[in-house]
Amino acid sequence: MKWQLRHKHLGDLLLFLIRRRQRFRITGTSMLPLLKPGEEVLVAPVQWRRNQQDGIAPTGQSSGITLDTGDLVVACHPFRPNLRLIKRVIAVRDDQTYLLMGDNPEAGASTDSRSFGAVPPSHILGKVICRFP
Amino acid sequence: MLNQAIAKLQEIFPAPEVHAHCDGPCGVYDPSAARITAEAVLSMTKKILALEAPNASDKAAYIAYENTLSRYIAIKEEQAQKTKDDLLILWTDYFKPVHLEKYPDLHDTFWKAAKLCSACKVEVSVEHSQELMAAVQKIHTMFWATKERDVAWYTAS
Repeated sequence: MKWQLRHKHLGDLLLFLIRRRQRFRITGTSMLPLLKPGEEVLVAPVQWRRNQQDGIAPTGQSSGITLDTGDLVVACHPFRPNLRLIKRVIAVRDDQTYLLMGDNPEAGASTDSRSFGAVPPSHILGKVICRFP
Repeated sequence: MLNQAIAKLQEIFPAPEVHAHCDGPCGVYDPSAARITAEAVLSMTKKILALEAPNASDKAAYIAYENTLSRYIAIKEEQAQKTKDDLLILWTDYFKPVHLEKYPDLHDTFWKAAKLCSACKVEVSVEHSQELMAAVQKIHTMFWATKERDVAWYTAS
């Protein structure tokens, strides 16, 4: 599958200006060929609400952010909380944890769920919406 | 126009970083680092065993002997530790669960190799140093097989 990430629209810029989107700059090469080091993206912060029926579910304030397989996310490294990672969700498991993987096909190029396992929702900081600019 | 203004702002105010992360330069893992240090361990072990103690009455010769022996021991211990560090990085960072399916003895191989590093550090044992070299060779073969590359094993000495 060929992954794409759109460029920003004016609406994204407005959401950024009212602080509903955060800017992040890519370092590292595990998301090649899609995202190169030095590029910036806009991220919609995901907030998690405990839901009695479904366990934990994402709420994106009024913006209705959902997370699905194939989405790009910014997450904390499970064992290195100060390290923010950008990865792709490759599976959502029944227990609402996420398997994350880098895009770069070069074996060993990405530190992701293959080495640190599934990521709990509390470690997912946001969903990547678009490139910036 | 708008994009130019944004680009200008990005230059002045860089965004916080997110890591498309790799443990070091991407994909650059190579068991040859462990091979070189393991070879140094074997070499130092042989040198220690070959060293002849001089007559204690010859003070200058005795000091030179003590100095050389201490250096050999220090290097042997340092290189054994480095070998262990390099092997552990390969084990914990490079090898992934998919590799374990293909090499069910992967954990056992690394565990024993790491223990051999400890043994070589503590002892002066040619036998254990040679076993360590064999373990590193096994890891070399396993490593390059996961990359589907045929990289010949060689030693410097």
